[in-house]
Amino acid sequence: MITGSDLAVTTGSGLAVITLSGVTVTYPRRDRPSLRGVDLHVAAGERVVVLGPSGAGKSTLLHLVAGLVPHSTPAEVEGTLVLGGGGQPLDLSSPVHERSALLGVVGQDPSASVCLPQVDGELALVLENRAVLPGQIGPRVGVALEQVGVGDLAQRQTARLSGGQTQRVALAAAVIGRPGLLLLDEPTSMLDASGVRAVRAAVEEVARDASLTVLLVEHRLDDYAGEAGLDGLPGRAVVLDADGTVVADGPTPQVLREHAAALHALGCWLPLEAELTALSGKVGDLTSGAHDELLAGLVPCDAVLPASPETGAPRVLLRAHGLAVGHGRQTVLDDVELDVRAGQVVAVLGENGTGKSTLLHALAGLARPLAGRVTGERPGMVFQNPEHQLVAHTVAEEIAHGLADPEPTVARMLREHRLEHCADRNPHQLSGGEKRRLSLAAMLAHGRQVLLADEPTFGLDRRDTVVVADALRSVADGGGAVVFSTHDLRLAAEIADEVVVVGQGRVLASGSTHDVLSDAGALTGAGLELPAIVRWFVERCSSTAALQSALRALGRHPVAGSAAHDPEPATTAGVRA
Amino acid sequence: MSVLQPDALALASPLARRNPTVKLALLFVVSAVLLLVLDPVTPAVLYVLVAGAVLVGAGVRPRALLVAQLPFVAFALGVLLVNMLSRPGEVVWQGAGLRVTTEGIWVGAGLAGRTLLMGLLSVAFVATTDGVALVTSLHQHARLGAKVTFAVLAGYRLLQQMGAEWQTIRRAQSVRAPLGRRGRPRVGLRGHAASAFALLVGSVRRGDRVAGTLELRGLGDGERTTWRPVPLDRKDAVFAVVVLGVLGLVLVGASAAGVLEGPGALF
Repeated sequence: MITGSDLAVTTGSGLAVITLSGVTVTYPRRDRPSLRGVDLHVAAGERVVVLGPSGAGKSTLLHLVAGLVPHSTPAEVEGTLVLGGGGQPLDLSSPVHERSALLGVVGQDPSASVCLPQVDGELALVLENRAVLPGQIGPRVGVALEQVGVGDLAQRQTARLSGGQTQRVALAAAVIGRPGLLLLDEPTSMLDASGVRAVRAAVEEVARDASLTVLLVEHRLDDYAGEAGLDGLPGRAVVLDADGTVVADGPTPQVLREHAAALHALGCWLPLEAELTALSGKVGDLTSGAHDELLAGLVPCDAVLPASPETGAPRVLLRAHGLAVGHGRQTVLDDVELDVRAGQVVAVLGENGTGKSTLLHALAGLARPLAGRVTGERPGMVFQNPEHQLVAHTVAEEIAHGLADPEPTVARMLREHRLEHCADRNPHQLSGGEKRRLSLAAMLAHGRQVLLADEPTFGLDRRDTVVVADALRSVADGGGAVVFSTHDLRLAAEIADEVVVVGQGRVLASGSTHDVLSDAGALTGAGLELPAIVRWFVERCSSTAALQSALRALGRHPVAGSAAHDPEPATTAGVRA
Repeated sequence: MSVLQPDALALASPLARRNPTVKLALLFVVSAVLLLVLDPVTPAVLYVLVAGAVLVGAGVRPRALLVAQLPFVAFALGVLLVNMLSRPGEVVWQGAGLRVTTEGIWVGAGLAGRTLLMGLLSVAFVATTDGVALVTSLHQHARLGAKVTFAVLAGYRLLQQMGAEWQTIRRAQSVRAPLGRRGRPRVGLRGHAASAFALLVGSVRRGDRVAGTLELRGLGDGERTTWRPVPLDRKDAVFAVVVLGVLGLVLVGASAAGVLEGPGALF
């Protein structure tokens, strides 16, 4: 295996842009470091992706390079950092605004990655701060916006941009000052499929400048890589394990091949090819046929599946009739007919801004519909950002909130949702996965028959996503029903019995999951793209139940040789699970 | 309330083309002078003049102008009533346990007129001033520091997002609230406090990240340029002279006519 220091030597030609030596970062009031003894050398023009499980210190590494740690976010930093090869190199003591001459950053949250009210002003700010002559600023702003494909948005209010547009403006602002180093902190993690595509294309356009060094931190490698698979990722990969230690560093295909199993077991989202390698132990992408034996074995025979009940359709728990929803008086989604039956999980699919959340709010009785009506018992609902729901000071109080007789329920919910270890902690201090489990537990404690969920797996790692998927499925299997919105078509195919596709202000398709996902026209019309693995199973499964069963089995399949096998134990410490 | 947000028509008006710092300074000066005027005639004359100027020079639709002044009208009415009923002096009407005095009407009308005039000036200022231009101009012409300037502008963007955020939090928290008699969730004061806290936590965190982004844009203490400076020219000087001149003329005229009264009218 090639280590970081080897690479610095072998790449040779370029000057080191980033040199980290023995860096350990510890945040205040944390008992263990977030990064531990990190050595990293990145040469000019290199493209590096940093990966690892949630909490491995990926963002900390990037913030350290940008200077946000420790200058904006206090932390104790040991070791040395040198930025820039020629001229006056910068070190740990250099403040953020000084480093900004060398580097540009795109953060993950569109609402914070752009600061000013108008698009062109945001880009001009960078040049104004460098005292660029006013006459040169306008043309440069125009060129930078063109480069990321948003040349027509110069005069637009930033508050009115979509997430994908905002991130592209942020990218343009990051590179307009011609920095040598571009830091990307999960730039597409909060976007829908078309936003991810647009930002990816913009990053590729910007990265055509071969002298630009790119350091990418990404948690949804599967989404980011997209159809291009491993080729869609930067050429060099650095793996951090749960301890914040660098455990692998080398060419991306090689690193992912060697460490796929361990990364998968740690809950990382991997590009499909690497995920399949982790499960089958074989090398090759989906079309190579290398994994066909494994995958075909997951498709159930029809005889194995429980026969559909003959006793007629189950009871309708929630019904929407002629429903129109919108913002203010403006209709966003019209003419929705929906029957949610006991035992069903219904997925609502569509791009951002098509009214998915607004529809769920109306079904929950939280937003007044513009037309039509919703009948049925009062549903429960969990929101995309679990923090929006938090009202109490401890996890246990949070679950007890609004219950007439909390005692027995709280204990049961803490146990069922693995929250016993943090029952007395402040909900705001939990990890993302724990917050999501808490919001589910607190809602399920009310025992409402229908649960609505807005993007319930958003931002979660693979392991937490499996937990949430199981929780939703078990609500329906216990006689209730679930309606959830998602961008994750694999999740929808895994747990949903029915799918509703929305777009262009109306319902574009609805029906059994297998039928709708087989309808390529409807998905394309809604701007959705079926992941290759889901397409593979849709083509080979004859029913929704078979599709669910196969994807469920895939998501919970043990890694190849999970007991002891390590492909190259002699050359690497391996990723400790 | 469209007038409280600058619309395209108002922002294309002659008043909108005047320098925002000059307008703000004039607003302060005129308001300060008005604090010393306590008769109802002087503010009434000024009100008519300003209203005419705003309708002609600010591109604000009359209806929008009226609607935006409603809060000031309500406040002015309150001031008038309190003074009418509570100020000692010559009684003009008595009954139902209340009495109205001449002095009360006079002083009350003076204070109310002043309130309406300040309201009108403020509405005209807000309707014809672009927030970004104001802050940029304060940076250029009133020596507001670059860090403060851009922090304010970033705060403006945060504020734009806050309405939607508040609505989401209110909804998220009312899901678990018990239902009231009409079938609507009953949230109560503590519920609102919890929502406000959640909004605060979220905003502080986002503000922190935005501050980081501003620094990453290179915002520091060093030398900087301004891409599109807000103009400050002779027309602004003429505008200031005209406004202050008209104010002076009205005061002189009112004094000559014997209607001008200062704080002495209160005692």
